Amino acid sequence: MQSFLDVLALSSDQLLHGLTITVAVSGVAVAAGIVLGALFGLALTYGSAVLAFPVRVIVDVVRGTPVLVLILACFYMPAGIGLSPGPLTAGALALTVFCASHIGETLRGALLAIPLAQTDAASAIGLTFAQTLGYVLVPQAIRQIAPNLVNTAVEIVKASSLLSAIGVGELLLTTQEIIGRSFKTMEFYALAGGIYLAINLLIATGGSWLERRYRLR
Amino acid sequence: MEPILTIRDLTKSFGTHKVLQGVDLDVHAGDVVSLIGASGSGKTTLLRCVDLLEQFDAGEIRLDGELMGYRLKDGRRLRLSGRELARQRSRMGMVFQSYNLFPHLTALRNVMLGLTKVRRLPASEARGIAEYWLDRVGLANRRDYYPSAISGGQQQRVAIARALAMEPRLLLLDEVTSALDPELVQEVLLTIRSLAEAGTTMLIVTHEMRFARQVSTRTVFMDHGAIVEEGDPAIILGKPNSRRLREFLSSMSN
Repeated sequence: MQSFLDVLALSSDQLLHGLTITVAVSGVAVAAGIVLGALFGLALTYGSAVLAFPVRVIVDVVRGTPVLVLILACFYMPAGIGLSPGPLTAGALALTVFCASHIGETLRGALLAIPLAQTDAASAIGLTFAQTLGYVLVPQAIRQIAPNLVNTAVEIVKASSLLSAIGVGELLLTTQEIIGRSFKTMEFYALAGGIYLAINLLIATGGSWLERRYRLR
Repeated sequence: MEPILTIRDLTKSFGTHKVLQGVDLDVHAGDVVSLIGASGSGKTTLLRCVDLLEQFDAGEIRLDGELMGYRLKDGRRLRLSGRELARQRSRMGMVFQSYNLFPHLTALRNVMLGLTKVRRLPASEARGIAEYWLDRVGLANRRDYYPSAISGGQQQRVAIARALAMEPRLLLLDEVTSALDPELVQEVLLTIRSLAEAGTTMLIVTHEMRFARQVSTRTVFMDHGAIVEEGDPAIILGKPNSRRLREFLSSMSN
């Protein structure tokens, strides 16, 4: 019988590959989710009804659905219109939309919480609405939602483990494959759990550093 | 000489409540006009209409002869685009009761924002102008402070510098000392007085009767959305003609 360390040495490349997929897919989902979420938030707050309503439907549906269901939907439903995204694409899309919906809703709340007097003051010096958004409102809102952004990023990393259900070879699926060969169940699940924890501690630490640096004074 | 600001027959309602009922007012270069009246008399609304922060129902406002907020097409009023409104607003300065500084920017950056984004000056030039105006309001040593780190009086002086840095034709001040602790009122009033002595054209909504009398060249008393009495502050505050102004002044001194 092989020891845990023997198996680890043999499967370290595979594990590293799984970790890379987890980090990459989470990174893409968070980055794209921030961009899309910013658009969602602006549309929800300032968009005309024609723009705001469909975004509202997307955001509410996504936030009211379990992430796993969302992932399965993104994987299987495109077949209905003749598309067949691979599991990685479908998974990244699901996590992106999930991330964007949360950020969009949070951003809306933060923008609405900024006193109207700020918009008055910006208008009074001659800023256009777009400039007011870019230089006055959004910078204040971002500082307000920074803790939520960190939380959402952590949620995305954890949710990425659900991509194993559609066959994305990320950290959890890789771990399960190794367990299937070696029967070191406890050890490798513990290892995977430890790695997720480490990633998220890293995100939280980086986040609180950024928060301290850009705190709304 | 042509007035800088002319207001003709300005009316505005909030729902069924008439806030402004046909206001006429001229402000000439170098005028310091104090606008007094009970709360709800329409002073602040008038100021916000002039700065195009509020839409008005009828009448007209002209700055240096230019029609503000609207253009006329076939006798109908069409609201200007956001970009044109922004350009017109940039020619006036407004200082608010609650300062409204941008909390995420230092004092210097608050003053610089309009210079770099509206007047599109290079950062070095904008910085020079901002430093000059912060110095003028006595805050050269607070330029790198965030608004939350300075007193209300200092914040209000930064707000005055922010408005003046844009070189407005007209400075609008809306009860700028009302939110201040009593011991901080004087520093702001002194700042405004020095601006008046330097010839800055100002329209000032105020509850400080003594200040109105000392600083303004003309006092305008509003009641129920209309101008009831106006003239030399010493005369109309000393010997008010109308019963309503007499009642208002006695209510202020109590």
